[in-house]
Amino acid sequence: MQLKNTRREMKSIDLLPLINVVFLLILFVLIAGRPSTNHPSGLEVARSTVQSEHEGAALSIWLKQDDGFYLSDIKPVTLSEVSDLVVEKGIAAQGLPLELIADRRATAKQLLAFRRAMAAAGVGEIRLKTELKSDATP
Amino acid sequence: MQLARRPRRAGFMGLTPLIDMIFLLLLFFLLGSDFVTYGQSRLAPPRGTGGATSAAPPVVITLGANGALNWNGAPIDTAFLRRETAKLTAQNDEQIMVLMPAGAANVQQVTDIMDALQGAGAQSITLERDVFDIDLADF
Repeated sequence: MQLKNTRREMKSIDLLPLINVVFLLILFVLIAGRPSTNHPSGLEVARSTVQSEHEGAALSIWLKQDDGFYLSDIKPVTLSEVSDLVVEKGIAAQGLPLELIADRRATAKQLLAFRRAMAAAGVGEIRLKTELKSDATP
Repeated sequence: MQLARRPRRAGFMGLTPLIDMIFLLLLFFLLGSDFVTYGQSRLAPPRGTGGATSAAPPVVITLGANGALNWNGAPIDTAFLRRETAKLTAQNDEQIMVLMPAGAANVQQVTDIMDALQGAGAQSITLERDVFDIDLADF
């Protein structure tokens, strides 16, 4: 009696569908995403329900949860230092807006102090950066 | 002498490096991308600093640290705030709304009220200090 040869043949896995799917994923991320923002670690921007256009500003200042103002992630600055910078850069003279990236847990007292100090430095408009809630209405 | 030519084997292209690179690209874009949509709330200059002037008297809205709202001194809720703001801005789109948050209130509470005002059509919102927070050392 002759036995059948039971040795299995090696089958190669077709990798093309996998590559296609991964390419599609890359395309999705490229189109739907945008380069991540350089917010300092731990800063949570206030959430808003009103959809508005985010425009760039001449200068961005961070207000962290510890109620300190920052121009970089390293050390806090005083409001008079920010005012000096605004005057030095000619932001007020050119009528350019400032952007305040405030942590939602920071106190309104600092927000008000910033508003008043910048008004004294001649800045007209301040844009408070917000994060659109997922259930926001356009 | 004639050498026997060996038949060439069809070259097999290794796909593993390609797949590795694609996965690395995918990881890079996934980690480097941000899917959050950002917006901006505009703050008009405070009164008395060259900001916009309005023919109608400004409405003063105070916000307590506990979220309590007052409309020109009278306690209100958010629905009233939206309704009355919509009425005023329908008559005068330059209507100035002065928001006076308590110093202990947080930025999210202020943003929520500004959202309600903007949603009701207010275009000129300014921030002022709550009278109870005024530091006499400023004078």
